[in-house]
Amino acid sequence: MAPVKPSVRQFSSCFRCVRGDVSFNGAPRRFFSSSAAAREELQTTSSSTPPPPPPPSSTPAAPAKDAEAPKETPEYMKEWGELDPNAVELKRDERRLIRREGIQPIGSRRRRAIIARTAAAKAEQIPFEQLPYQCFQEARKVLLADREEKLKEIKTQITRIENLKAQDPVVSGGQVKKETRMRSMQNHLNELVILADINDPVVKKKFEDGEGDMNKPIYRYLADQKWRKYKRLVVEQRIEQFNLVPDLLPTFDPIADVDLAFGRKNVPIGDFVDSAVSENPPRLNVQTFERGQKLVTVVMVDADVPIPEKDSLTYRCHFIASNIPIAPDQTSVPLNLLQQQSRKTKNVEEQKVALSWSAPWAHKGAPYHRMAIFVLEQKDAQALNISEIRKNEKRDGFILRSFVDRMKLKPIGVTLFRTKWDESMEGVMKRNGLKDEVNVEFKRKKIEPLPYKRRTERMR
Amino acid sequence: MLLPRILAPVRAAAKSPLIPSSRVLDVIRHANGSAAHAPSPTLSFVRHATHQAQGRANGAKDGPGKRLGAKKAGGEYVIPGNIIFRQRGTAWFPGENCKFGRDHCIFATESGYVRYYKDPSLHPKRQYIGVALEKTDKLPYPQNAARRRRLGFVAVQNEPQPKKIEGQAVVADLQVGDAPGSETSIRATVRDSQTLTIGKGYAYRAANWDIGRVAERANVQVKQFVPGDRWAAWQKSQARKKRNEEAKKLRNAGKKSAKPKARKRRGP
Repeated sequence: MAPVKPSVRQFSSCFRCVRGDVSFNGAPRRFFSSSAAAREELQTTSSSTPPPPPPPSSTPAAPAKDAEAPKETPEYMKEWGELDPNAVELKRDERRLIRREGIQPIGSRRRRAIIARTAAAKAEQIPFEQLPYQCFQEARKVLLADREEKLKEIKTQITRIENLKAQDPVVSGGQVKKETRMRSMQNHLNELVILADINDPVVKKKFEDGEGDMNKPIYRYLADQKWRKYKRLVVEQRIEQFNLVPDLLPTFDPIADVDLAFGRKNVPIGDFVDSAVSENPPRLNVQTFERGQKLVTVVMVDADVPIPEKDSLTYRCHFIASNIPIAPDQTSVPLNLLQQQSRKTKNVEEQKVALSWSAPWAHKGAPYHRMAIFVLEQKDAQALNISEIRKNEKRDGFILRSFVDRMKLKPIGVTLFRTKWDESMEGVMKRNGLKDEVNVEFKRKKIEPLPYKRRTERMR
Repeated sequence: MLLPRILAPVRAAAKSPLIPSSRVLDVIRHANGSAAHAPSPTLSFVRHATHQAQGRANGAKDGPGKRLGAKKAGGEYVIPGNIIFRQRGTAWFPGENCKFGRDHCIFATESGYVRYYKDPSLHPKRQYIGVALEKTDKLPYPQNAARRRRLGFVAVQNEPQPKKIEGQAVVADLQVGDAPGSETSIRATVRDSQTLTIGKGYAYRAANWDIGRVAERANVQVKQFVPGDRWAAWQKSQARKKRNEEAKKLRNAGKKSAKPKARKRRGP
């Protein structure tokens, strides 16, 4: 039993400003503290095959019991005591909960404080819908009526669509016109489905608590809105600032949220990553907001490979993996595990990594390298031929635009990190067979002055 | 405007006791113009300036020219920092590989060939000055094409730590100055140290961290400082005072006699 904190502590910080855990540019990492997803993520980092998410474990010994996760909870972590995701209310405890158990605390800190206090007072927990506030109940009635109306509309829209389907194209004015009409009707139906649930307080509560189901359109919609409000703006800005768009792709409209992490370290988009850290492949978290499973290809490109002989720059491909399934509730793309898996299996059909990870490196004194990781959706979820990619694509001088065009891919998400010469770079280069490049240092080129400004012997 | 000072003579007339009052009326009548046919000699006018006496009416027009305009023609070769265009305001905007100076002059940031152009996709009305990297290039570059960039760096092959050997040779030179074979402090320090770096100018020297380790290597034992130990502090200060006194005595030993008063003033 967690010790009961003094109640004054809860009001010492502004509740309205509380954000779960701030990791990416101030934006909360989770869309809705999806505790199940967080637990799953923990599993994928510790074991090669993702097992089904286990029931919520509140005891510190639970991860140790897991046969596939041999990671033992350290002694100092055990001293933290029991941490209940429903009741942690100190920032420190929240941090510890995420660190030790990999679970996000639910909802807001205010809610958790209330839950903890009612539990301490052994008071009865009233279900959310039955809260005894008159105004709340009256408002609920209005919202329920509105929902009924929307449900009725959905029903009629469905029958309309059925009718249109059965209709002869000649009657509806040609095949093209019929399809256009069908599409717009379907769009309207999707809109209605979201409108039916958008005002539901229970939906809002579940979304805030992270108990929402990403297979339902309303939660996908809410998560998308949340992403677009902050994180996507940052991504857009980075794409523009780092010139990813004219340099690597002609146009790009990100529709999936991509998080990058090397081991346990989350990397905000565009950050410098130590070369020793980036020696091993990272772990991606690709959150899509569209229905259904997708097959994606993940490509990492270095956009700043110098060619000193020609005094210009080129591109280099560091990694290609294809046929990776992702879905709204299936977000983890552990590149390191994919690579291990591909090494183990002899069958080319089962392999996913076409070009294995080569550690990012930069010469001493050279300007930084932009390492862009693109998530590209495969057309119609068709699997690509790995051996063909392996045969056709070369690492040096890799042009992402032409690769995207040839494979009929659609870019949906991007993340970026940067690399430059650091202390551990020498070791990384030696380990990756670049021993002769270690001693090469880049220095600024002297620019010849204009002829009439050149200093001659006579002038001296 | 010409304003007759009508009341001045009236006032004068009223003030003087010698003039009879009938004369006052006359003066008023004159001033009111009733006797226009006979202008009074006492009426006076003030003439104000209606026109500026000197200088030009609408500001100076013939100041020195500011030598504005194009400094480099289209197609001319420029290097970074060259000013291409001088202007007041922004008649021209900096395009590819160009920047604004502090007075809106446009200068090159890359070496290349000057281009004067318009880019409707960027701005429908602005005219730009850019620098094309290649002589054959045209500006603006096609939209959404990869940027054309120049590396601007050269690759230099670095020898793996050649300085160390040279540095030791220099130290050997230093040793020549001393008596050969004698253990000088310099030699002892340098022989142990592993890194000799070149200083700002020409001299090779041990790194600062290396110098900091000298005492440790020589096994110098320093008495532990205990804060608040007044006894040790008093002893130390007494020893210092005694030492100073003796040093002073030695300094003054050569002198025949010092002035007692002056010494008193100087002493503690």
